[in-house]
Amino acid sequence: MFEVQEINAEHKDLIHDVAYDFYGQRMATCSSDQYVKVCLMTSVTDVKFGPKTQGLILATCSADGIIRIYEAPDVMNLSQWTLQHEVQCKPSCSCLSWNPSFSKIHPPMLAVGCDDTSAATGGKVFIYEFSENSRRWTKIETISSITEPVHDLAFSPNLGRSYHVLAIATKDVRILNLTPVNDNNSIQSGITKLDVQTAAQFEDHLSTVWRVCWNITGTILASSGDDGYVRMFKMNYINSWKSVAALKGDGSKLLSNENYQSSVGSSAGLPTPPISQTARYIKLGAISQPREVPWH
Amino acid sequence: MRADKISPAFSFSGGYNVNISNRETAKTLVHKPRREISRWFVNASKTPNGTGIGIWRDGAWCTSRWVPGHSGIRYNEMADKLARGASEGPEPTCGNSYGSIKAFVRSEIAARHCSNWNALAGMRHCKTVGIRPMAGKLEIQWSPIKNKFITWGSEVCLYEIEQLKEQSTPLIKLSPLTGAHLLATNNNYHYVKCIDIYPKSDKDLLLAIGQANGKIVLSTFGATVYDSQFLPGKELVPRHQRQCNAISWNTTECNKIVAGFEKNRSDYSVLLWDINKSPSHGENGPIRPIVEYGLSDTTHSLAWINSKVLATGNNNKQIRILDFRDSAKQVNHTITKAVHGISVNPHNERFLASYVDHQVCVWDTRNFEKPMLVLPHLKQLSKIAWCTTKQNLLGILQRDLPSLNLYDIQQTMVGNEEVEPSVIERIVTPGLHNITSFSWHPNDENRFLAISLAGHIVDYIVFDRITLNWTTNANLVWTCGRKTLKYITETNTLYESLQDISQKIKLRACKGYGLKDELCKNGEMVDDIMLRNVWNRLHLSDKLVEDGTLRGSNSKHPGVRSVLKIDGATIKSESVSISWTETSGINCAGSAKMYKHEDREKALYLCGWYFDKDTASLTEFLDELEKDQAFTRAAAIAVFNLKIKTAIEILTRGSENCIPGTNLNVVAMALAGFSDDKNSMWRQFCASPKTKLNDPYLRAMFSFLTAENNNYDNILYENGMTVDDRVAFACIFLPDNKLNDYLKSLTMTLIYEGNLDGILLTGNTQEGVRILQKYLDTTGDIQSTALIAVRSFNTELLQDLGKDWINSYRSLLDSWQLWHERAMFDIMLSSQRPNDKPPQQVYISCNFCGKSISAFMQGLTRGRGTFPRMGGANKLKMSSCPNCRKPLPRCAICLMHMGTTTGDQCTSDGDGTKLVDFSHWFTWCQTCRHGGHASHMIHWFKQHLECPVTACQCRCFSIDAV
Repeated sequence: MFEVQEINAEHKDLIHDVAYDFYGQRMATCSSDQYVKVCLMTSVTDVKFGPKTQGLILATCSADGIIRIYEAPDVMNLSQWTLQHEVQCKPSCSCLSWNPSFSKIHPPMLAVGCDDTSAATGGKVFIYEFSENSRRWTKIETISSITEPVHDLAFSPNLGRSYHVLAIATKDVRILNLTPVNDNNSIQSGITKLDVQTAAQFEDHLSTVWRVCWNITGTILASSGDDGYVRMFKMNYINSWKSVAALKGDGSKLLSNENYQSSVGSSAGLPTPPISQTARYIKLGAISQPREVPWH
Repeated sequence: MRADKISPAFSFSGGYNVNISNRETAKTLVHKPRREISRWFVNASKTPNGTGIGIWRDGAWCTSRWVPGHSGIRYNEMADKLARGASEGPEPTCGNSYGSIKAFVRSEIAARHCSNWNALAGMRHCKTVGIRPMAGKLEIQWSPIKNKFITWGSEVCLYEIEQLKEQSTPLIKLSPLTGAHLLATNNNYHYVKCIDIYPKSDKDLLLAIGQANGKIVLSTFGATVYDSQFLPGKELVPRHQRQCNAISWNTTECNKIVAGFEKNRSDYSVLLWDINKSPSHGENGPIRPIVEYGLSDTTHSLAWINSKVLATGNNNKQIRILDFRDSAKQVNHTITKAVHGISVNPHNERFLASYVDHQVCVWDTRNFEKPMLVLPHLKQLSKIAWCTTKQNLLGILQRDLPSLNLYDIQQTMVGNEEVEPSVIERIVTPGLHNITSFSWHPNDENRFLAISLAGHIVDYIVFDRITLNWTTNANLVWTCGRKTLKYITETNTLYESLQDISQKIKLRACKGYGLKDELCKNGEMVDDIMLRNVWNRLHLSDKLVEDGTLRGSNSKHPGVRSVLKIDGATIKSESVSISWTETSGINCAGSAKMYKHEDREKALYLCGWYFDKDTASLTEFLDELEKDQAFTRAAAIAVFNLKIKTAIEILTRGSENCIPGTNLNVVAMALAGFSDDKNSMWRQFCASPKTKLNDPYLRAMFSFLTAENNNYDNILYENGMTVDDRVAFACIFLPDNKLNDYLKSLTMTLIYEGNLDGILLTGNTQEGVRILQKYLDTTGDIQSTALIAVRSFNTELLQDLGKDWINSYRSLLDSWQLWHERAMFDIMLSSQRPNDKPPQQVYISCNFCGKSISAFMQGLTRGRGTFPRMGGANKLKMSSCPNCRKPLPRCAICLMHMGTTTGDQCTSDGDGTKLVDFSHWFTWCQTCRHGGHASHMIHWFKQHLECPVTACQCRCFSIDAV
């Protein structure tokens, strides 16, 4: 039936992140053993390269709540990265995602998530946009519906859609549709206004969700959670989302549509800790000197 | 006699199982001074179920488990029976009264309590000691033997873990997959304070049991291999009696065992024994310890750092590191209150962890002055343990919680400096309430056992956080544990069941979808009906515009709306009445009202109903449909053209070779009875059951025949009919204003749905773009969107949007490495858009001056006319940089300069433009920049691995993955 292949990454400790190159042929892993394997350079959750249309650019966010955007002016010299922008965000930023849209209609956009545990501090996801006029990054939206700590977020590949889709890993899997509103107001001010709608909310993991990632067309979302499952969610024709598969982390069990529901039931046995107690992700070191990003 | 009532097994430190229903009250009680506690006990009374002693006070209901220490002894049993009878039945007529028994029990408990109290070492000096759950704490520990573990509280139990099977003897269920058998119990010791298992236990377990009175006993479960060594039953006794707090075997020198004791003014608190040593000559006394340390100290906890070095927590104020190589010497120490539960990281002996009250300290012994890390908690801590399998993972248990905190502590180095360690915290809930202890499995990754206050045990595996990523080619990879990655490839059957658009796009791209010259051929490649219709429709409109049927429209793919000029001046159609008899020749008197206009005809052409000119084309069309088994559609269209007879024939034919289940014969019979008399029986009869017909076309057919006042809403909004048929129907039967309204509302609906059928109405207009965008939004099918846009929409209309679509699709093809498909698409693109040339993608720059050579090349070719000498027979040779005059690189094989061909004649294609064979092209490695003519290079790398340039060891060919 289903078959899951295996790669021995030969890490000595927990693997934190996996990244692929553009063609999906090379893979990089980073781990607690402080090695990054098979890779030029990569990130610890909070470093992301910008879309290729903007040149060689990368953004970091750190626990002190500052988003920094670096650019390599010379593509051939990767040792030089100059700090272009510094944006003060809320403390304990945990993750960020670039909007991968190629379109000239959409200015560069970043989503930042915080993993601060208190619900009192309000929204945990912020959308920043680069304004060509003022040459600054400005916060254009705070997603107030999400008050639990956010562990990961990912913009889906845009592929010409008129809206952006943002997946968020918090206590559940959230999928948001962000539609730019083209009214007179936003055109005058040059700041995009977004219409934010929650397209889906899945509690299938029954525990903290750890990572989310999109397939190439942005039509299937995969997520992993503390229940030890990898789950998939697919957009069906009428723009609504459905969970379609659950894969056990050790590859022993793969469930698709039909026998899917049972997996939700079986992992439901144990009580989940209250939200305030769910896991907290503490940054793997903060950047003290903005100009010296610690590369692995 | 009544003294038996208090079993000797009843003790406060051992088998005491306190369930406190009101926790808040209990908490206050727990911290009450001693005399309060005695009062607590004086109020003891019998529990409701009669099996133990219940203590009721201040709203807290405590139950103590009664250990029937005298069961089996005849007279005691009798006494017990009498007593039970006395308490339940009426007052006994002889002997003691119920009240006197109660009074006796009370006083006896109080007395026993006091004696126990004083017997406990250190208690005398304690100010606040309560009956804490701790007193009856259950502990759990994995043994070195696979699948066996022990628990201890009032008794020591040995369990073996087994996989749960369908029909197996009832096991104690530990997890969905595992269960445990109780193998043995050992209840010889009641004041157990600590246990450690002999580390070399490979077949049988040898336990060292530290007791409240300070005695350490080696014990086993039944007969074992150790019996021959006379180990079981051996006692290690300190000189002065006091509680043993901690005990630990040396894992390398397994005969050595160290124990930590409470304070005694004239005795040591850390004692090291060699169990193989016999008592000294001539003495029958206990074995003497080989090393003693810590005179008049208290040792709360201890742990071996390695075979010679020990860490101890002393006197509530310091942690010491003792070196036993040279008797016992303190080599390091730190002042801290966190002296409990010292635990050494099994993967890095530098790191210690210890706790006190609410905080855990993690120490680096190289920098012992202050803790490396302090982890505060909300509740009192009860146990900490480093994970045995995973590096730097510390498990922490807080009292009265159903969860365990796990900390992944990583020392980070930035340059040569150590920065504050990073900590990842996780909380796991094994599914127990009030966990009292846990134990990591010695070998299995991330597995631990936990035991609750009530004695429930859970076997739990902590799932490592999974991180995952998706490649562009649909490989999904995720981590499994710390070493392995799991992945599924695009060939996985899972993807088949998902039916995702990304898979379809790739497959279609490989087949050359969208690149076929004939538009309808593209439709044949897809299994999606809507897409197929769109391509057919575009093909049709293209053809109609070409052959001049649709004149007066300047667009290549006009829509019905533009043909009918709905948005401009309204057309005036003439209404024609065609009597039913004329066409059907049956019992009809009336006529059907139809509308005709030149533009309507054009619209009908667009819809595919191009048979108005003569009946032959209609028959032809119907025959086509019949061939495709679309009998009901054919019949309905025949009826809409007032050919009832034809419809009946079609249906009859259909019933002969048709799908079972649909009884077309009956429908044909019903149709045969058609009469347009408004009051006819037929009409009344058909009006109601027609809604029950499953087939949309049959439904529409009867709706049409029974329609009153020319109200055709049932047909126009019949979603089972294709948009073409509905629009065509409207074009025939709706008057101008209604037709206008209908088409407008239909367009809006189709745009909203993102239904590509709407292109029939809109054609390649701005609204058509909106439909495409909506279609893309709902399906994510960038491929069809981009292709349809390129093939049938103008650049002006699409503007930036179209560019985005095209770029998105191209980058999609790029990331799949479908270079050929990308190139074909680009070629198609430039043929469709002759004005916008694809941007130059390759530039060649000089090695010396860095200026582009290609610009000069273009200039030279353009200027060929003016320099005839350079063209023609003397082919253009450019062997040096036109800017700095330095020579261009040379082919590594033939040593000719770039720009020189291999000498073979180049072939010229039909257009007269000269294109050199690929084998003559210059190519080079992107890594070492060496190269030459393609044919030479291919030849070279057939036999060699390394670059042809001397001393260059670049493995160009292997690096170049494409």
